[in-house]
Amino acid sequence: MSKAPIDAVSLGIMWDRLIAITDEILTAIVRTAFSVGVREAWDLACVMFDAKGRSIAQASLSMPAFIGTAPLTMRHMLARYPVESLKPGDVLVTNDPWLGTGHTPDICVARPVFRGDRVVGFVMTITHLPDIGGAGLAIGNPDLYHEGLILPVCKLVEAGTFNPLLRDILANNVRVVDEVFGDIDANVAGTEVGARLVGEFMDEYGIDDLQPLADAIIAQSEGAMRRELAAIPDGTYRREMAIETVTEALDLACAVTVEGDRIALDFAGTGPAAPVAINVPFCYTRSFASYAVKCLTTPSIPNNDGTLLPISISAPEGCILAATKPSPTGGRHTVGWFIVPLVMSCLADVLPGRVQADSGMATLMLVTARRSDGREMATQYFLAGGLGAMDGHDGRAAVPFPTNNAVVPSEVWERETGMRVLYRRMLPDTGGPGRFRGGTGQEAALVNTSGMPVDVSIFGLRTKFPARGFLGGAPGAAREFAINGSAIPPKGRHALAPGDTLTIREAGGGGYGDPKLRAVEAVAADVAAGAVSVAGALSDYDVTVDPATGLGTRA
Amino acid sequence: MDWRVGIDIGGTFTDFAALDPRSGRLVVHKQLTTPHDPSAAVIAGLPVLMQKAGAEISDVGTIVHGTTLVTNALIERRGAKTAMICTEGFADVLDIAKERRYDMYDLRISYPEPLIERPMRIEVSERIGPSGEVVETLDHDQVRDRLQRLAQAREIEAIAVCLLNAYVDDTHERDVAAIVAEVLPDVSISRSADIFPFMREYERWTTTTMNAFTQPMLSRYLDRLETGLGELGFAGGLFIMTSSGGTVTVETARRYPVRLLESGPAAGVHFAARLGETSGIADLLAYDMGGTTAKGALVRDMTPLHRYEMEVARVHEFKLGSGLPAKIPVIDLIEIGAGGGSLAEIDARGVVKVGPRSAGADPGPACYGLGGSAPTLTDANLSLGYLSADFFLGGEMALDGGAATEAIGREIAAPLDVDALRAAWGIHETINEDVARAFRNHASERGFDYRRSTMVAFGGSGPIHALRVAHKLLVPRVVFPAGAGVASAIGMLISPLSFEVLRSDLVELEGLQPAAIDQGFANLVDEAADAFSGTDVRRTDLTVVRALDMRYRGQGYDIEVTMPANLAGAALIEALPRLFADAYEGVFSKSFPDRPIDIIAWKATVSGPRPTDSTDFAFDRGAADQARKGVRAAYFPDAGGFVETPVYDRLALKPGDSFAGPALVEERESTCVIGVGDRVEIDSHGNLIASIAAAEGTLAA
Repeated sequence: MSKAPIDAVSLGIMWDRLIAITDEILTAIVRTAFSVGVREAWDLACVMFDAKGRSIAQASLSMPAFIGTAPLTMRHMLARYPVESLKPGDVLVTNDPWLGTGHTPDICVARPVFRGDRVVGFVMTITHLPDIGGAGLAIGNPDLYHEGLILPVCKLVEAGTFNPLLRDILANNVRVVDEVFGDIDANVAGTEVGARLVGEFMDEYGIDDLQPLADAIIAQSEGAMRRELAAIPDGTYRREMAIETVTEALDLACAVTVEGDRIALDFAGTGPAAPVAINVPFCYTRSFASYAVKCLTTPSIPNNDGTLLPISISAPEGCILAATKPSPTGGRHTVGWFIVPLVMSCLADVLPGRVQADSGMATLMLVTARRSDGREMATQYFLAGGLGAMDGHDGRAAVPFPTNNAVVPSEVWERETGMRVLYRRMLPDTGGPGRFRGGTGQEAALVNTSGMPVDVSIFGLRTKFPARGFLGGAPGAAREFAINGSAIPPKGRHALAPGDTLTIREAGGGGYGDPKLRAVEAVAADVAAGAVSVAGALSDYDVTVDPATGLGTRA
Repeated sequence: MDWRVGIDIGGTFTDFAALDPRSGRLVVHKQLTTPHDPSAAVIAGLPVLMQKAGAEISDVGTIVHGTTLVTNALIERRGAKTAMICTEGFADVLDIAKERRYDMYDLRISYPEPLIERPMRIEVSERIGPSGEVVETLDHDQVRDRLQRLAQAREIEAIAVCLLNAYVDDTHERDVAAIVAEVLPDVSISRSADIFPFMREYERWTTTTMNAFTQPMLSRYLDRLETGLGELGFAGGLFIMTSSGGTVTVETARRYPVRLLESGPAAGVHFAARLGETSGIADLLAYDMGGTTAKGALVRDMTPLHRYEMEVARVHEFKLGSGLPAKIPVIDLIEIGAGGGSLAEIDARGVVKVGPRSAGADPGPACYGLGGSAPTLTDANLSLGYLSADFFLGGEMALDGGAATEAIGREIAAPLDVDALRAAWGIHETINEDVARAFRNHASERGFDYRRSTMVAFGGSGPIHALRVAHKLLVPRVVFPAGAGVASAIGMLISPLSFEVLRSDLVELEGLQPAAIDQGFANLVDEAADAFSGTDVRRTDLTVVRALDMRYRGQGYDIEVTMPANLAGAALIEALPRLFADAYEGVFSKSFPDRPIDIIAWKATVSGPRPTDSTDFAFDRGAADQARKGVRAAYFPDAGGFVETPVYDRLALKPGDSFAGPALVEERESTCVIGVGDRVEIDSHGNLIASIAAAEGTLAA
């Protein structure tokens, strides 16, 4: 066993190795999972913990939301099963929204890593299951009990044997049993791979204990975070932001207090939980709040408990960002995503070079139908708005934020659903004008040519409150949904009869800085690229663009 | 007239290898690359090569050529003035791209610009449905009219024709292409269904734009090359290396330039795989590390793993998702931002980071003395004694050890408060970890158990790091092949003619008729065989490998299933469920016997005869007969630090020679670093085979 203190050379090499192990686990799960969300959109995470349950490494492509919730989940698991009570081959599980990730489909699976008879750490993986029973993810679910089976923290596998009772309960409560077990097995196998790789790593470097390494990783990360926080001027920075629930407006409020090398985010003043499935358990709030701080301060440093130590987060119980049981939480992201721009706006005046104006975010739509042969069709459609602009950086068109999903190709969509995509176009003048322009939104029109009635369940947002511009930048355009040209409520379930056309106009990102300061050539290039119209160039930027020459002049 | 020559143009050197298949004699040559006109180095180097071989250029029957021209044109955006014609409503597909962010924390994320600017894209009214039905007929007059108007406003040299669902039925694409040919007869045309007819419009169309963008330039280059070779007296056949590890005719290369991406590394992997075959090694890791990048690949059952997507012109060179996707058949390469020139720095965490930024060849590592002052991997390897200051590139370039140590001390050791040697070791070992990590992840994604395989290491820097990387991967054996410095050129001259075609055609397995499956493959094979026209390969000499992409109905993940050569018709259909289940289990460790299965895509790879069955080449040896050149101090932490280490001359080692590490084996382009306790043996082919000291051993950190 090496007794020498860990120097910077060893620390870097061994730290990266732990991250590599979590990356390999994540890859193994993506390869073996069934859920489309896991395979196509990487809706999963892997986090490694030390024996005290402090996070020390995470897979690079983990979902940001899960990175923030996993350390809390680990704490809940250890409160229920203290480390002395764990045996080799045990695997813990939970999908309780308040202990896990904020909604029921995400399953958290953790395995203690043994060295001899001693626990040296834990490996946790989280994936979004194909189904967890109940009424599925629907905005109209009135309470948590509609949202499927909830597993408290329990031993999924005990000393290597899958708990038969749990297996039976799961099998009796979910729709697509094979896929669900396929994904659960993928998690269990992934943590097993992780435990093996940690063992190989310890063999290779001749170490019997991860603790000195874990301590060094956490100390180094904490130091880096504290240095960044200390550079922010002390003070309390407040902002409020209106968002839409279903039909009502609701205020989110945040006060960010920077004091020396610490930062505190408090969401007091935020409106109450709602009777629809958009409520946010506090674990999810905490996760996106720390994600925002991370993006602003130390984006290139791997996440772990060290980076979280100087951050404290609070929200009054019962507000929509700290909803209590049994509030329904299936669509918690449609509110939770706004935490990131809210925190950014609080710090816009003190970190003008780092904040990002509001983004248009994205639309997730669940699409179901029963085919003429009786087979069920269930799929997702996804469409992204424009990114918010930053100092020196225009927002990119059609990119999701803060979530991350991949495009649904029109050819894949047409083949799978029989519905035709009439067009997908960039929407000129939807990006918020600014010295740096917000990303443009896009428009898609889907015609129900499938010959059967199709149900679409939409979690739409930013239809009343568009993406805000920062530091003089203007807002982007709001999102719109219509069937056959008539506007429809953005959150809810709609029936598309054969021949109906659903139109989605995605929101643009907010601009940054005074649009009158945008370079004339940049405006002319926007016109050439179709991001800004000739009329928009004049009205938003005071720039006249000659369509023949493409050249612009400012009045 | 039977010498075969492989010519690989790299960033710094153009490598040549000539083989006399009768004697197995292999002659190599290196010539500085001529970036302004890469054919110049080819024309200048070929006579030198053949003079070394003692033969005439007219004795050369075949030249196989690999070029980075297409890749470079895409990276540097030096291509034709290219327009695009696409389905009404979809001109923005190139901008909408994949939507996804490839980095979760980088708010200033940037993406590559499409190759075709917005005003050069024309939309036309037409629509083919997902089953090939005509939803809206093509408006011919509108195509003609819009094309003429664009041509009046802007110069057009090439056109990409990209219609929705053309992968199912390309009638409209053919019609549009015919109109283009009539309106603009001098413009080169690329059609999406012809380039590679995969479903997914963004990727297929982007691939088509790459083909169109590079086609005129590649065509001019091949003209110059053919003329120049002809003037030298070359009267044999010229073939071009592709990214899938096979070669094509010049005509096929002109039609599909996008298939030439990354052909050099593909040839290197092909060489490693064939070497494995000769030596009876079925599964191996090919590890090639040079000045700026490392490439890896996995070989399973003597066949390199392949895939159908690669990325070009990345905004962040080694970040997956930051480039333009090319959907073509490629050898499944791992790319790592690690090479001799990789810059070492201290990252935001306060630990050592090496690469992906590189000092390149100019100013190069600090020890080159060409003005570079930042420490690189090569500086670390020199400080650790792995490289010799006096025998770099065979002694042609003296290295400055003092400058290397000074740079490492200043930039790494002092800020981290460690000594310079420790910092140098950190730089070296960081790269070992990076390479091992890349292999692990790649293998894990593909369900490849590397722990029982063999590594084949080549390139200028690969042999320095190979054994330490292998140790981390629990890979028990490393082969350092003879000819490692020109592996890609050798890979080229032993590559057969080969062409792969694909057709996306969704078929439910339970309704598939014997005649339909046979006809489906026969059509593909006919199409692929067209690529052999003008060669002397007879139809009866062609080898066909058929494959189907299949999935369980409702799943989004296809599995490629290779058809047994001896099965057809009803027997093949009967075998398909079992074949699919086996392949599925290979990936997912389970299968679902009762689920319905869909066929998604049909593939055929048609290959000509292998030019040679052996990789047992006779290299021209150096004059030295004394294998042991001397000793020098090199750093081996497992031995406690610097130890006097024997240095061997690779060219003077003979089959049967063996010794134990620590040792250094030098050749002109590289040095094999043999660790403490590792054993080395020269096999009967001249390859250096190293066995790891103990597969479960402990390495000092």
